[in-house]
Amino acid sequence: MTINYLIETRALTRRFGSQRAVDDLNLLVPAAGVYGFLGPNGAGKTTAIRMLLGLIRPNAGEVRLFGQSLNGNHRSLMRRVGALVEAPSLYPHLTGRENLEVTRRLLGSDRNLIELALATVKLTKDADRRVREYSLGMRQRLGLALALLNNPDLLILDEPTNGLDPAGIHEMRDLIRRLPDEFGVTVFLSSHLLGEVEQIATHIGIIHEGSLLFQGTLAELQSKQQTQLTLGVKQLEAATEFLVNTGWRVQRCDDLLNVSTKAPDDAVRINKLLVDRGLDVFHLAVSQRSLEDIFLSLTNGRPS
Amino acid sequence: MSLFRALHAELLRLKRTLAFRVVFVLPLLIAVLQFFVILRTKKYAPGFNLWQTHPTNSFQIWAVFMMPLLIALVTALLNGIEHSDKQWKHLFALPVPRYAVYFAKLMVAQGLILTSTLVLAVVTGIVGVAGMYLRPELANAGPVPYVWLAKQVAFIWLASWLIIAIHTWISMRWSGFPIALGAGIGGTFFALFAASAALGKYYPWLLPMNIFVEGRFATALLLGIGGGIVAALLGCFEFTRRDVN
Repeated sequence: MTINYLIETRALTRRFGSQRAVDDLNLLVPAAGVYGFLGPNGAGKTTAIRMLLGLIRPNAGEVRLFGQSLNGNHRSLMRRVGALVEAPSLYPHLTGRENLEVTRRLLGSDRNLIELALATVKLTKDADRRVREYSLGMRQRLGLALALLNNPDLLILDEPTNGLDPAGIHEMRDLIRRLPDEFGVTVFLSSHLLGEVEQIATHIGIIHEGSLLFQGTLAELQSKQQTQLTLGVKQLEAATEFLVNTGWRVQRCDDLLNVSTKAPDDAVRINKLLVDRGLDVFHLAVSQRSLEDIFLSLTNGRPS
Repeated sequence: MSLFRALHAELLRLKRTLAFRVVFVLPLLIAVLQFFVILRTKKYAPGFNLWQTHPTNSFQIWAVFMMPLLIALVTALLNGIEHSDKQWKHLFALPVPRYAVYFAKLMVAQGLILTSTLVLAVVTGIVGVAGMYLRPELANAGPVPYVWLAKQVAFIWLASWLIIAIHTWISMRWSGFPIALGAGIGGTFFALFAASAALGKYYPWLLPMNIFVEGRFATALLLGIGGGIVAALLGCFEFTRRDVN
């Protein structure tokens, strides 16, 4: 089966002086759903996004959108892309509606799309207020409305919740989550917050120091989660030997044993095995390695 | 079509901006100055014709001082709104050719300078008529020389194309007022020295003034238009290849 990728980058590289901001990046973003592009601050997310939009040119590699090279097809491809890069670019002296009208005139798109975009981001009521009076959350939503004005198939959002308060983050997250189902748009979203991406993304790419460390579905990332059992057994030596011989990964920590397992259910099996063997289990605790632990271990413990 | 759409969008961006207001205010300052010059002049020589001196004085002050500064200010304001909220990245991510954005900006700047020069011509006529009314000894000057005024507006404006193109590029290339205005003030300041030099007839910031200098008219017009077109094309070439950080 051939998978159609809306975004495909091939060995994409961008240097600033001697520093490689993006290094040999091979993104594969399938159609539909939300792709979370995750990485600590300074990982190369914004540089990669700028190359996806043709704002800066790569030193090497290629960007392909909708199966076509961006090079030489920028205008035709951008007709299908909406973008919000970092803070939204707005004219504070104009009203929200006038800001949308400026972009609509440039795009030559239908006037009705302004009302639709305003309704989508819930700004209809405030559309005739000047943008300088808007809160940060409203500005961000207006930025999203601007990105929706050409009725895009692909929406590229760079840190859309940056600087928002918890209520604003919640509102923006809900909005982004609705977009694939209601408008059939694929969302490519960058963030340095795992918790945020985890809640809305179907696919995840983790970038660190310009390189892609993981790419796949959220389920694939979750499968990397490991459960750890901490066991207290009276006969420590015998228990260790028995578990190692039966194929478990065991680590001794003082008077306790740490056993790595795949699923929480393994605790029941191990306990039964030990008890059946006549070993006295006096302590059993289950802990799970979270996605955050995986993210931190992939990015060398740098959450942001 | 793209250029038309970019122009249409550019006109909406002008709404409520200082760039739009200043276009009407600066010519009025010259008109007020000229009005008081006419009123305060103690005695006019017999046979003095107001229309032979007053409009020329107004246009010369405009061409050598006000117009170059207005060009620097207007282009800085027009492009400053794009720099202020990092609008370039939004504009360049749209399916709009960069040349359309560039020439729309340039044409709006040209339009504003033309409007301002036209306002100057209108208020110059009004001040002249008011002067004749208040100083009866000037009444023999005859009707307002509309055709002459219109021609001067066109000549000065065409000669200013090179300055407009230079300032459009400067204000698009660098964010911040100091560079754009510094170039305008510097260009105007050096014009005072260049005026008396032979090479002054090629100095961009002197071209509008050279319209009134004997022997420099043709050069001012040709260099203004031709240089303006070449500078605009070079600026556009750089603009369309720029990375947006």
